[in-house]
Amino acid sequence: MVRRSGLAENTHGLGAHDHACWRYEEAREFHAHVREFLSDGLARGYRVWYTASGDVTALAGDLRGIDGIDEALASGAAQVSSLDTQYPVGAPIDPAAQVRAYAEATQEALAAGFTGLRVAADCTPLVGTPEQLDAFARYEHLVDHYMTSSPLSGMCGYASDAVDEQAFGQVACMHPNTNSPSPGFRLYAAGDDGTALGGETDLVPGELFSLALVRAGLRPRDGRIVLEAGGLEFLDHNSLLRLAGHAADRDALLVLRTSWPGAARLVDLLDLTNVRVEAAS
Amino acid sequence: MTVAELPPSERFVHPALFYGTDEQYLDALVPFVTEGLERTQPVAVAVPGARLRLLREALGDAAHEVTMIDMEVAGRNPGRIIPTVLRRFADGHDTVHVRIVGEPIWAGRTDAEYPACAQHEALINLAFAGRDVTIVCPYDTSTLDERALADALVTHPVVWEGARRLKSDRYDPDDVIGRYNQPLPAVSDAVEMTIEGTADLRAARGFAVAHAHRLGLPDERMADLQLITGELVTNSLRHTGGNCRLRVWRHHDHLVCAVEDGGHLDDPLAGRRPPAQEQFGGRGLLLINQLADLVRTHTTRHGTTVHALLALSSQAR
Repeated sequence: MVRRSGLAENTHGLGAHDHACWRYEEAREFHAHVREFLSDGLARGYRVWYTASGDVTALAGDLRGIDGIDEALASGAAQVSSLDTQYPVGAPIDPAAQVRAYAEATQEALAAGFTGLRVAADCTPLVGTPEQLDAFARYEHLVDHYMTSSPLSGMCGYASDAVDEQAFGQVACMHPNTNSPSPGFRLYAAGDDGTALGGETDLVPGELFSLALVRAGLRPRDGRIVLEAGGLEFLDHNSLLRLAGHAADRDALLVLRTSWPGAARLVDLLDLTNVRVEAAS
Repeated sequence: MTVAELPPSERFVHPALFYGTDEQYLDALVPFVTEGLERTQPVAVAVPGARLRLLREALGDAAHEVTMIDMEVAGRNPGRIIPTVLRRFADGHDTVHVRIVGEPIWAGRTDAEYPACAQHEALINLAFAGRDVTIVCPYDTSTLDERALADALVTHPVVWEGARRLKSDRYDPDDVIGRYNQPLPAVSDAVEMTIEGTADLRAARGFAVAHAHRLGLPDERMADLQLITGELVTNSLRHTGGNCRLRVWRHHDHLVCAVEDGGHLDDPLAGRRPPAQEQFGGRGLLLINQLADLVRTHTTRHGTTVHALLALSSQAR
């Protein structure tokens, strides 16, 4: 499947499988985007869910302004929960368990007659330590795969005064969409358990790219690691070498499906024997 | 004393071969090649296309045992000859003495190319010091100008002329490296942008591509330009820690992509070494040399300017 991917300027018009990473400076500005995203979700018949740190009454207040929000909250079409009770404070999350929890919630929403589940979350408190950040980045990619096959859409907020650009980049690159030009590349789920690479790879240090490859759990199938790179705009040689090295360490051939002509040129100039460039589908 | 008997540090032999006719060319090079083959030494010939055909015909069946490289293609940019022609061949045979004929300078070289050619000849001495290799560089005395022939005496420790083997008393490769490290031609019609950090890389590439379209760079070379721009700017930002200036303009049949920064390039072989395996970094300048049709550099303690040229038509390549 070809998913919407790229720089997101607003949270309006996102679909049933979309997943956006949102960097914000002002809480008020983030809340406006949450309202836009969830209001859109209600109109599409999804159950919508808002979760952030703080008291649920205050969180419900962040949603004031959505048409019919009181009725939606009363009927269960809209739900609010506090991260403080939902997540272990200060400890890393268990990525697989977290995905299971959202899968169950999605199924519950469908069983209750909704067309899907849409979640807006302020994830700022969940990436405070390196261990939390690592686990959460893995989770973001894992849940993205679930989203391709189920009607779960999400918007993940990160406050810029608490999550610096480097840390933000580590989670943002695991989303198909973000409102931030940095980190520039996106490693996200392409459907059928496939992985896509989009954007530009040289705006951040190469170590971040390597970290993303490991966290995305890129593993060979039938001896090949296939990257759907139809949205790739620029691949620098350092990142290509990291990709080729990642595949070589797993005795795999890397297949890069891209229409950007520079990829084949680089593979040739770098004499990479375990990388094959194919036309993007 | 033969080359094989020399101690390792003296095994590198780098003569300039002066010839004025096809006959003189073949009289010197056919024996050089066939003697090498008789000694089971690997032999490569990297010379302009017409010379390659001449040698191939004269060598007959022996030509099949020689690696033949068209220098007008492989060595279009002199900056890539050491890593991708000479060292690629020599490094592939590093347990025996290797013979190479390398002719990087011919009459059709432009004024813009020549300084890079002369510097390349000088840098061969640094790149191969201590290596078990002979690299013979033919110079056509009937067509090359006096400057090229005079410089050959400075960049080569030995000169072969007919049967004579002469030591050059002018040998001083550092002089040529320094002498051609000159300010690069300034132009008034260049467009320019300042790059302050990696966040500007996307805009820098977009800027270069937009102006390249305007100036007529063929679509099939846009990715080369994107890669060159990215590598030049990334190198500047990484190694200087300051801003750099990107400029683009047309110079005759070429597009020039130039980056200027406040750093000093103190390694004369930067961009001319084959990369070590498992090496992620350090390949930027090498890639630029591989991608561009010509690379010129001017570096001082106060700043460095690199011009990467891309031919606007296939005829100019």
